[in-house]
Amino acid sequence: MGIGNEDQTAFEFRGDWKEFFPIAASNLLLTLVTLGVYRFWATTRERRYFWSQTRFIDDTLEWTGTGKELFLGFLMAIVALIVPVIGLQFLIQALILQGQAALAGVLGVGFYFVILFLIGFATFRALRYRLSRTHWHGIRGGSEDPGFRYGLSYIWKTLVGGLALGLLIPWSMTQLWADRWNQMSFGPHRFESTPEWGGLMKRFLLLYLVPVAAVILGVVAAVSGGGDPGSLGAMVGLLVLAFYVVLPLIALGYYAAFFREVVGTLSLTTINFQFTAHTKQWFLLFLGNAGLFLLALVAALIPISALGLFAGLQDLQPGQDPFAQNPGVVIGMVLALIIPMSLVGPFIRYRNWRFFIRNLEATGVIDLDLLTQSQTKVGSHGEGLFDALDMGAM
Amino acid sequence: MIPAWHYDGRTATRHEVFVTAQDDGLRLDLGEGRSDLAPWADLFWIDKRDGASVFGRKGVDGWRIGIPLPMTDLLARRLPPQSRYGGLVDKFGIWPAVAGFTALSAAVVLVLWKVPDVVAPLVPMSWEQKMGDAMIGDLGGRICDGAEGQRALDALVQRIDPEADKLRVRIVNVDMVNAAALPGGQIVIFRGLLQEAKNPDELAGVLGHEIGHVRNRDVMQALLRQMGLSLLLGGVGGDVGGALNSAISASYSRAAESRADGYAINLMRTANVSPIPTAGFFDRLAADERKLGKGAVAMSYMSSHPLSDERRKIFLASARKGANYSPAVTPQQWRAIVDACANDPDVKEGDLF
Repeated sequence: MGIGNEDQTAFEFRGDWKEFFPIAASNLLLTLVTLGVYRFWATTRERRYFWSQTRFIDDTLEWTGTGKELFLGFLMAIVALIVPVIGLQFLIQALILQGQAALAGVLGVGFYFVILFLIGFATFRALRYRLSRTHWHGIRGGSEDPGFRYGLSYIWKTLVGGLALGLLIPWSMTQLWADRWNQMSFGPHRFESTPEWGGLMKRFLLLYLVPVAAVILGVVAAVSGGGDPGSLGAMVGLLVLAFYVVLPLIALGYYAAFFREVVGTLSLTTINFQFTAHTKQWFLLFLGNAGLFLLALVAALIPISALGLFAGLQDLQPGQDPFAQNPGVVIGMVLALIIPMSLVGPFIRYRNWRFFIRNLEATGVIDLDLLTQSQTKVGSHGEGLFDALDMGAM
Repeated sequence: MIPAWHYDGRTATRHEVFVTAQDDGLRLDLGEGRSDLAPWADLFWIDKRDGASVFGRKGVDGWRIGIPLPMTDLLARRLPPQSRYGGLVDKFGIWPAVAGFTALSAAVVLVLWKVPDVVAPLVPMSWEQKMGDAMIGDLGGRICDGAEGQRALDALVQRIDPEADKLRVRIVNVDMVNAAALPGGQIVIFRGLLQEAKNPDELAGVLGHEIGHVRNRDVMQALLRQMGLSLLLGGVGGDVGGALNSAISASYSRAAESRADGYAINLMRTANVSPIPTAGFFDRLAADERKLGKGAVAMSYMSSHPLSDERRKIFLASARKGANYSPAVTPQQWRAIVDACANDPDVKEGDLF
C-alpha cells in the first residue's frame, strides 16, 4: 500500500493527557511504595500507552517489552558493569589520595575509554531493544549486531569529533547515527542511513562565532564608553545574553537541522522517513517542558510553605533538628515536593513522544506480504546499561 | 462464529477470520478450509485497540487476534483477563498491593537501618584499617606531620587514653573547625579547630568524644548505614571523596553521640583533665553559629555534632568539686600542637575536595 499522501500523514499520535494521567499517577504511587523498584514496570506501562496511541498507516504500534526484562537488565548492568567501573573509580581516587598520581593517571585514561565504550554500547543496545519490542502488524524490528563494534567505533569517532576544538562534532554525530541505524532492521528489511554532515557545518560554525562576536562587541562597548560603569554593565549584559540566550538557541538550531538530516536520510526498503520540526518547534517543546517544571515547583511550594508555617519551622533555632520535633511535617514536606516533581517526568516524556510522532513522516510503499517476521534474536533483558548510565530517551 | 482480525506473525498481512470458543482452545477459521487452534493457556492479553480486545500467543512471535467488543460471555470467560499494572499487582488488586508494598518497604528500611548496629562490631578491625588507609592515605600531603607537633599531639592522646597506641590521630591542614573519626581508628583534627581552641583541655574533650566513636564502632555503623540507604535509593556511589566527606559530616544518632560524650567524660576523669573548658568551647561554637547562621557552618563541627545545651551541661556537671585537675599537656606541647601546620615545611594547604 502507498503511504504518506497529502490527505493523511503516515504517523499519528492520538493520546490524551487525561487518559495518561491515571497511568502516571498510579505509576508514581506504586514506585513510591516499592522504594523505586516498580519504576521498570512503570516505564513499560508508559511505553505501552505511547505506542498504542501511535498509529502508522492503518494500525497502531505495540510495545511488547516487559517490566521484568527491564528489571533483569538493570540488575545485570549493575553486577556485570557498574560494580567493576565503580571499583576502578574507587581505586583511582584512593591512588590519588595516596600520592600515586602517575599510576592513577594511566588508570584514569583507561577508565575514560571504558566509559566511552559503555556509553556507545549502551546507546546501541537501547535502540536494538526498543526496535525488538516494537510490533506493527505483528512484525517487529531488531538487529543481528551485538553492538561491541559500535562501542569501539564510538570511542574513536567521539575522540576525533573532539579534535580541532570540536569542529568535527557534526561529522561524528552523523557517522555514529548511521553506524547505529545501518545495523538495525524491521522485519526482513535493513534500515539504510546516509546522512551528510557538510550541510550542518554552517549552523555548527555559528556556535563558534557567537562567543567571539559577543566578546568583540563587549570590548567595543566598553572601550567606546571609556570604561564608565554603564558601558561595563552593557558589556556584561551582552556576554550574559550571548551565553545564556543566543548560544543555546543556536545549539538548538543546529540540533534541529541535525535531526532533520539524519531522519530525512533514513529509509527502510521502499519507505523514506522525514522529520519536519524546525528550530521554532523544538524551542516551543523545550519551553513547554520548562513550563511544566515551573508549574510543578509552584504546586510543591504552596503546601510546603503552608506546612512550614503550620509547624512553626520559620522559628527554628540553630542546632535544633526539625525532624526530631515534628517528623510528620517533614515527611509531608518531602512528599509535597516529590509528588508534583515526579509527575513532571512522565508528562515531559509524553510531550516528547507526541512531538516526535507529530513531526515524523514517511512516504513510499509497503508490501505487507513481503514484510515478514524479523529473524533477529530477542534478548531476555532490557536496556539496563542505558538506564544505569542514566541516559535519556530520544 | 465471531468475526475477528488476525496477524499470524509470519507476514504483516492482516487476515479477516472467524473465531469459536472450543474446550481445548480458541479456534480460528482462516477461510479456504484452513483453521488454527490456540490453546487457552497460551493466550495472553495485550490491549484494547479500535473497539477490540487484542490477544497474543505464547511461543509465536507477533501472533495476534483482535476480537471485537463486546465479547460473548463464553469467550470472555475463557480468554485471559485484562492486565494493567503488572502480574503481582493485578493479582492482589492495586490497594492491597500498595498496602503490602508499603509494609515490605518499611521493613526493608528498618532492617537496613538496624543491621549496621549488629554487623559493624563484627567487621574485623584489620578490614576497617585497610578501608581507613584507602580513604585517607596522606590526604594529598595535607597532614601536618612535623615531628614536634605530632609528638606533642601523641602525648596528649596518651595522657587521656590508655589504649592510645591503637589510634592514629593526625592534624590536617584544612581551615575547617572540625574533627572526625574515620574508619580504622583514624581521627583527624582540622587546623581550624586548633585555632579555635583556647587550651589543651578543650582539645582533649573533643578528642575524647571522637575516641568514643572509634571504640563504639560508630564509624563503621554510619558507613554501612549510608551504603545501605544509598543502595536503596538507586544511587550507586563509589567515590572515595564522597565517602570521606560523608564520614566527616556524618551525624550519628543521639544515642551514639551521648555515648561518645560519656566515653570522653570517663577518659578525662580517669586522666584527671578538667571537663569545664570543653563545655566552654561548646558554648563559644554555639555562639558562633548563632552569629554566622546555619549556612556558614556547613561541614564544620557544629553541623556534624549538633551542640545542644544538654551536651554542655553534661560536661559541666561531670566536673568534680575540689578535684586537683592538671592541664592535658604542657604549654610548650600545646604550642607545638597549635603550630604543627605552620612548623611543617612540606605540608600542602587547601580545601578537602
